[in-house]
Amino acid sequence: MEQLIEQLKQQIIESLNFEDMTPADIDADAPLFGEGLGLDSIDALELIMLLDREYGIKLADPKAGKAIFKSVRIMAEYIQANRTK
Amino acid sequence: MKIAITGIGAISAIGSNCAEMLEALQAGRSGIGKMRFLGSTHTDIPVGEVPYSDAELKQMAGITDEPAPRTSLLGIIAAQEALRMAGTQCDVFISGTTVGGMDLTEQHWYDYAQSKAVENIRLHEAGESTNLIAHALHQPFTFVATPSTACSSALNAVMLGANLIRSGKAKAALVGGAESLSKFHLNGFNTLMILDRQPCRPFDADRNGLNLGEGAGYLVIEREEDALARGTHILGYIGGYANTCDAFHQTASSDNGEGAYRAMKGALSMANLLPAEIDYVNAHGTATPNNDLSESAALLRIFGENMPAVSSTKAFTGHTTSASGGLEAVICVLAMQHAFIPANLNWKNTSEGLIVPVAQTLHRPIHNILCNAFGFGGNESSLVICAKGRELSETVPTPLHPKLAIEQLPAEDGSVSRYVSPAEGRRMTLQTRRLVAVAKRALDECGIEKPDAIICATQWGCMLQSMRFLQDMMDYNEQQLKPTPFIQSTHNTIASLIAILTGNHGYNATYSQGERSIDCAITDVETQMSLGLIHSALVLEFDEEVEKWDEVLALIGDRTKAIARAYVYTN
Repeated sequence: MEQLIEQLKQQIIESLNFEDMTPADIDADAPLFGEGLGLDSIDALELIMLLDREYGIKLADPKAGKAIFKSVRIMAEYIQANRTK
Repeated sequence: MKIAITGIGAISAIGSNCAEMLEALQAGRSGIGKMRFLGSTHTDIPVGEVPYSDAELKQMAGITDEPAPRTSLLGIIAAQEALRMAGTQCDVFISGTTVGGMDLTEQHWYDYAQSKAVENIRLHEAGESTNLIAHALHQPFTFVATPSTACSSALNAVMLGANLIRSGKAKAALVGGAESLSKFHLNGFNTLMILDRQPCRPFDADRNGLNLGEGAGYLVIEREEDALARGTHILGYIGGYANTCDAFHQTASSDNGEGAYRAMKGALSMANLLPAEIDYVNAHGTATPNNDLSESAALLRIFGENMPAVSSTKAFTGHTTSASGGLEAVICVLAMQHAFIPANLNWKNTSEGLIVPVAQTLHRPIHNILCNAFGFGGNESSLVICAKGRELSETVPTPLHPKLAIEQLPAEDGSVSRYVSPAEGRRMTLQTRRLVAVAKRALDECGIEKPDAIICATQWGCMLQSMRFLQDMMDYNEQQLKPTPFIQSTHNTIASLIAILTGNHGYNATYSQGERSIDCAITDVETQMSLGLIHSALVLEFDEEVEKWDEVLALIGDRTKAIARAYVYTN
């Protein structure tokens, strides 16, 4: 799980263009939206695409992302349970 | 001065001329269905496609051999109808589009170097697709412009045309927009997850996104006295109009609909009408959860409890993006002429915060109509169309003072990050950050925080992100595409980013007209200043150097050039 969290942090940094950040800058338990990284609706779409491209998880409803993208840890748990690759 | 509408022309999924469209609108017959000609792999996505092949459209448009984007073909057909009806010649042609010749670029992406495909390369440019329409119309045009502000483009074309007539720079203007479906924007909207797999349901509690459509719609507008002197039938009048920027987010509309509210208020104010005098609103009403809620909030702020009849006609035609303002203005004129309010098809239930639209066709006289068209980056335009003429002020000649010109900033010396923070610039390419920085620095040095207008001029638009999205779309067979390049691909991206980052709700536009783009922008500034509509303006001329497109342009001995020049004007 910890390995997946680290990998996911790296993927988030790349896909959302956080150029100056390292995985160590992201708290796995901090909220991704609102506070924390302060992500918005475009980022949510990018994260949905990240799940699709990297883990073969397809979300048809953009609203489904809300529950999954609460924190990096919750996202990693969802990936572990649902990944197809 | 009063500006009369003396000709209308349209083509869409519900008809290839005004008569056919009128019949479908009154019968409540939608044009949304399975795609037949687009050739996308997303066959499950319904669209409002014009039911003719390119070859058939060519025949209808009277174009024989030469390559032509579908956008131009739709434009020619609708424009010919408007000109025929008006029975006059126009000296100005303003036609909004964003797709331009993207369809041809998609078709020939892998075989440009072969056969005759190289002839199509230049047609990728929005302005060039307009030039092709202009050429086919055989009119004595002295000014041709292509506003490209995504889904509000055509209404911005109407505004510029009206301003040119008011300031004496045009006698009769053909104004509106044209846009064909393209795989590019179908996939783009798909990455935004706002395409409904069912027929769209504007303002419904269970709405689940939009259906894309295609088409064209034009008005011929001229001075009332010229129309009367000719003895032609006057269909209606331009009452007022306004364009503002929501200055909120690149793809989302603000919760309180600030930009839309300001646009509608501005249009009503120019028309000197009270909200209670409006009897029909043709809403933008795309059927996305966000648009309809935000537009409802703005409508409620304007009209309160006295809501006039409101409908979105996008469940008939689909969202025809850059053409929508022109097409829907034509629908408004038809509604006024034939005394009916088109139904907001597929509406069943309301929920909190949403306006309740007209679910069934209503037959009643209409005197004043408000027509909305809103675009990416919060580019919001509203037009008032009236049965009786409204007096609009004429030009007061005022000198234009260019205060400053700033050229491309070096990225290395920190001047870019001084104006665009890492957080603000996170999604931007380096080129985009430079452009925004050039604009902000020019304003800074002139001591103008919020100019009344932000206008961009560009030949190719935001080509770097367009090419990224296009390349991915082609290489990955329309699957697993990232939304950000699409969001940043529209021509008006830079103008809206500047507005968003500086909280500017003022006029916001982009022109794409080849090397004449900058002339179009300056004409807009001069005209609006002479009418007293604005007193300061930022004009940003830009183009990007794009390796991938250079490979294509090399076939015709051309290449892209990086341009970043900001000018600030005051009077």
